[in-house]
Amino acid sequence: MKKHEKFLLKASIAFALLSAITPTVNAMHIMEGYLSAGYCVAWGIICLPFLIGGFISLKNKIKTNRRNLTLIAMSGAFIFVISSLKIPSVTGSCSHMTGTGLGAILFGPAAVSVLGIIVLIFQAVLLAHGGLTTLGANTFSMAVAGPLAAFGIYKLCGKLKVNRRVSVFLAAFLGDIFTYCVTSIQLALAYPSEVGGTAASAVKFLGVFAPTQLPLAVIEGILTVVIVIGLETYAVPELRNIGFLKGKEAE
Amino acid sequence: MIVIDKLCYQSKLRYVNASEKFVYAVLSLILCIISRSVMTAAVVFFVNVYLTVAKGGIPFARYVKLLLIPAAFLLVSTIALVVNLSRTPLDAFAFSLGDWYLTGSISSVQEGLRLCGKAFAAVTCLYFLSLTTVMTDILGVLRKLHVPGLIIELMMLIYRFIFLLMETASAITTSQNSRLGNRDYRTRIRAFGGMASALLVRSLKRSGMMYDAMEARCYDGELKVLSEEQPAGKKEILWIAGYELLLLGMVIWSWMR
Repeated sequence: MKKHEKFLLKASIAFALLSAITPTVNAMHIMEGYLSAGYCVAWGIICLPFLIGGFISLKNKIKTNRRNLTLIAMSGAFIFVISSLKIPSVTGSCSHMTGTGLGAILFGPAAVSVLGIIVLIFQAVLLAHGGLTTLGANTFSMAVAGPLAAFGIYKLCGKLKVNRRVSVFLAAFLGDIFTYCVTSIQLALAYPSEVGGTAASAVKFLGVFAPTQLPLAVIEGILTVVIVIGLETYAVPELRNIGFLKGKEAE
Repeated sequence: MIVIDKLCYQSKLRYVNASEKFVYAVLSLILCIISRSVMTAAVVFFVNVYLTVAKGGIPFARYVKLLLIPAAFLLVSTIALVVNLSRTPLDAFAFSLGDWYLTGSISSVQEGLRLCGKAFAAVTCLYFLSLTTVMTDILGVLRKLHVPGLIIELMMLIYRFIFLLMETASAITTSQNSRLGNRDYRTRIRAFGGMASALLVRSLKRSGMMYDAMEARCYDGELKVLSEEQPAGKKEILWIAGYELLLLGMVIWSWMR
């Protein structure tokens, strides 16, 4: 084991211990029926421009090369499967990755918006995570805001010439944190607190979900780095195909 | 591999017309969300449990377990909803923490309980759909609703690929276990990362092979699949219409009050 891998493992063990108290940890899908009708529709409408943009970009990708159809579908299935598998945690409690950071880094935020809503539909229908009425709100936090943040951070780190592994970690970690903040704000907007209004309510939601979401974000960041290390070792041509490694980086 | 999917294929309501089931579930869901009374939620809840468990033949114990999936979210966020941190105690309960109180008002407790009821009723609507209608049928309904062809095609392929990838993932995990992977936390992190990256490589390769196979079978930009259509029964439509009208009446009544 190399030095940085050792460090990663130690860090992940420390944070997993922190999360040992909490039983089931999912990504923070807002459950079915938890938002009132107005908010369901409003978040859906807010998502529309991103979805249409993503749809057009996917369509163009498929037009330029039809092979991309199965590739994109496989990527969607990959995100679903990664998010449905249990990830390691010390107590054997079950937690799941969101996979949005990884998806955004590998496939780009435009593709992830459309793939994200499809994955969320499947998660709602097949795994009972999230729901149909809350699809709009969940899509905004997990398929639009989170991936955009992750992708932006990844690109920014690239510009600033930060070590790639560090930037992958930061992208996945902060993407998760951002998703969690957005979801808290969505809940707070729908249910402002009696004392202190929306802001106080947002702080409360951030507070109650912090013990589950913060360690999850760290573990997700570490796992994403481990996955990317694996990919860089074994799958350079494939990564070049999906546009992850470009030009000099690949050599 | 996916419990809900497996149960769905065993349901006795599987061969009922898919559009009927879809319309029933979605209408009940919408009416349940916009209603203000707990009564509507209770009616929706019990009718759905009856239909899914008694009519559909889903084992009750399994169903209860499934209902508990969103319970963690519900519990945590309802606590956030009901409990306030304030300098003045409110009327329902108050625990003092020095100068501050962890406190809540009666109206917020009522609101929280109502929300829980509503959310559980909404979840049973979702479960009715996912435990009686297989994904391919749902896609058929979406096609009738004129969802863009590309999205339907992607959903169809993704649904198929999910099982392929899960199989591959579980095979990789088995072989890792047999090579002393996953024995403690360090190896578990390494094994998961290794599994995920191997999974992506395999899936990308597989997608190429899949495309070749499709092209060999004359794929030219459109996937054509045969769908089995069960005719919609008149009696069922009447029942559904009657029930949804009843719900609508209850919803309007709950607004008037």
